[in-house]
Amino acid sequence: MTISAVEDWVEPPLRAFVGDARVVLALLLNTSGQVLAQHGFTRAVDVMAACALAAAIHASGSELGRQLEGKPFSGLHHAGRERQIFLAEAPTPRGAYIFLTVFDRESSLGLVQLYFDEFKVRLAAAAPPKSEHKPALAENFEGDLNKNLAALFGRS
Amino acid sequence: MSLVNYATREITCKIVYYGPGRSGKTTNLHYIYGQVPEDRKGKMVSLATQTDRTLFFDFLPLDLGSISGFTTKFQLYTVPGQVYYQTTRKLVLQGSDGVVFVADSQARQLEENIESMQDLHANLGEQGIDVRAIPMVIQYNKQDLPADLILPTDQLDDALNFRDVPSFAADALHGPGVFETLRGISELVLKRLSAGSSAGR
Repeated sequence: MTISAVEDWVEPPLRAFVGDARVVLALLLNTSGQVLAQHGFTRAVDVMAACALAAAIHASGSELGRQLEGKPFSGLHHAGRERQIFLAEAPTPRGAYIFLTVFDRESSLGLVQLYFDEFKVRLAAAAPPKSEHKPALAENFEGDLNKNLAALFGRS
Repeated sequence: MSLVNYATREITCKIVYYGPGRSGKTTNLHYIYGQVPEDRKGKMVSLATQTDRTLFFDFLPLDLGSISGFTTKFQLYTVPGQVYYQTTRKLVLQGSDGVVFVADSQARQLEENIESMQDLHANLGEQGIDVRAIPMVIQYNKQDLPADLILPTDQLDDALNFRDVPSFAADALHGPGVFETLRGISELVLKRLSAGSSAGR
């Protein structure tokens, strides 16, 4: 099982969830659409696209829930022919995160929901307090930026 | 908010293209998408209406390569420009690291540009972001149109650029100015990240 996580504390809860719930894909992201951890994706750019869409679904679903019932929808489930999608919010002391998972006949909605509840507890317990970091971009920052942008646009 | 992974030395930044309807935000992304090599970009996602007007957002992930030892990725978003998509614009703007304001240079669109800039300020303010602190550049698009239809960039600067942020004349349909705009915002966003500034949040 391959899990990649931006921050180490996210990995154990996600690893446990993926193993227990037997899902195909799992994605944890912040509400701005940036990934914290993922399982099952092969390309980073696909992860980013899935995050953007998941954040959009979560935001519009929450707003729809607020307008219809006065509070955000707690989760979303879509049953496709082969695969199913489950999306919900996972609150932690560091703020709320969005969780998206895709599963097939190896699992079920009941299993996913059951283990998602455990995942939320583990994630909240594992979350460290917020800390400020400063990335040290070195002196060659501007040269690298120019070179890479020129390469992107075929101008190098 | 930029995401920095110190273990793998990766930085992910969110840049939002903002502006009035039909100013050329999606066109900017289409041009970038067309120019960037396959291995440096993801799929361009467009949530659009049947007539190709942006309904929710356009999204383009870019891999900028290594900058000062950090693998740097940009997520480019557009917002829908039409006034009635206010809620959607707020959602897309959430957590942005930098804003490109795409203005329509046509003289008859000046009022829409000003309204959209005011809308941007209001939405940033609602999210607790100081408009004077967030990295921003302005692009004056459609500068290729006949001179009698458009305003010169100095007049547009007077009307829109009170912060004196970097501004760029552009013709997003054909490319001039698109690269320079992206370069401008990239530099501001990464410099701010480098400084570790939390001002304005």
